[in-house]
Amino acid sequence: MEKVIEIQQLNKSYGMNEVLKNIGFSVHHGEVVTIIGSSGSGKSTLLRCINLLEIPSGGEIHYRGRNILDGSHHIPSYRKKLGMVFQQFNLFENHNVLNNCMVGQIKVLKRSKAEAEETARKYLKVVGMEAYINAKPKQLSGGQKQRVAIARALSMEPDVLLFDEPTSALDPEMVGEVLKVMKELAHSGLTMLIVTHEMDFAREVSDRVVFMDKGVIAEEGTPEQMFSRPKQERTREFLKRTFVEHDRA
Amino acid sequence: MSLEWIVKIVEENWQMFLRGAGMTLLISLVGTVIGAVIGLLAGVIRTIPTPGRAAQRIMLKSANLLLTVYIEVFRGTPMIVQAVVIYYGSAMAFDFNMNVLTAAFIVVSVNTGAYMAEIVRGGILSVDKGQFEAAHAIGMTHMQMMANIVLPQVIRNILPATGNQFVINIKDTSVLNVISVSELYFLTKSVAGNNFRYFESFFVACVIYFVMTFTVTRILRYFEKRLDGSKSYEMEPAR
Repeated sequence: MEKVIEIQQLNKSYGMNEVLKNIGFSVHHGEVVTIIGSSGSGKSTLLRCINLLEIPSGGEIHYRGRNILDGSHHIPSYRKKLGMVFQQFNLFENHNVLNNCMVGQIKVLKRSKAEAEETARKYLKVVGMEAYINAKPKQLSGGQKQRVAIARALSMEPDVLLFDEPTSALDPEMVGEVLKVMKELAHSGLTMLIVTHEMDFAREVSDRVVFMDKGVIAEEGTPEQMFSRPKQERTREFLKRTFVEHDRA
Repeated sequence: MSLEWIVKIVEENWQMFLRGAGMTLLISLVGTVIGAVIGLLAGVIRTIPTPGRAAQRIMLKSANLLLTVYIEVFRGTPMIVQAVVIYYGSAMAFDFNMNVLTAAFIVVSVNTGAYMAEIVRGGILSVDKGQFEAAHAIGMTHMQMMANIVLPQVIRNILPATGNQFVINIKDTSVLNVISVSELYFLTKSVAGNNFRYFESFFVACVIYFVMTFTVTRILRYFEKRLDGSKSYEMEPAR
């Protein structure tokens, strides 16, 4: 299968603080990859480096075989191929739900208003928010906002969807509705790269799980292998800690 | 009696006062609107991310430097002095006599622009960082992001400060009498010069100024409410 994103020797430092050290991995077309690891392990930074919200300090990011860090690529045209779902939703506050899903299509993809609206309605239906098209982001609950944010990303019909801890800012009773949408998307064959703390979810939907620790990829493999027979001691430690907390909760 | 004089002054000069008030409103309105546009443009330029190419970087640096000089000079000198310098200066430098009204528009706009640039900067800083990230992530360029996402939010945020600037302009256009702009203060002075009733004449001007500023404040408050929209929304029927 074709590699959509391939990362080689990616580094990111803030001053003396090395957040990512020699990261290398790839995402294939149609694959669902989750990145797990404790807070501060660099998972979010990695995701944000991929769509250049953070500028990597070194290394290469290849998108469909082309190194987009060689300075010859128009960054906005690259970014429109990647959808991003943020932990804090980041819906456009000045637009209603429908326009949130249309403005990028019209301005960036140059679609007509009618086409943009049709596409937006289609994906708002997928996430179950088509009844709320007139609402402003302020009027929605966290779970509803995140589902609109997913529809906004889908409306751009991106090559890959990146999720940056999409359920971490949600109240517990709203996590389910967002995960349900994400599961449906994962089964629909979309290419997805997800940073998450939801281990059951990662186990269920992933084709591959990547475990990050202190700025490096400590281990990666199938969910079966990662959750049942992890090879590395630190992976075992992390999973044990996570599941103990999970059981307590 | 003062009161009788006031009535008499109003009766005899009401057209004069009305013209002055109209001119004052016109100059402050034009000045505030153009000033706000200058401020928004300055805000957009000052938030452009540092470009990669050296030539572009130098251009942006120079533009930013010019903006900083402009803002500091016009905020750091009194408008009454700016009016004299611009009006007589342009006559000396370019050997042409500017229409006083044109000079008035320029002075108030450019002066307001310097204040608005700072107000807009604050307005842009107050927009959540996530809005910028989401716009970038969706593939928007700086200009697309500013026009469609950031500036609409900035305009709402700076509306109270802009209204304040408008009120200040209504009062401060009175300094334009130094270049003989026929605004309210200037005409009141000529009314008073004819009847030698300074207190009564300026008392009338005082009331007119207050009515103008108070009305403008109310109108802007109404616009703020309108912009915020209703608290409820219509549900779309399933189809």
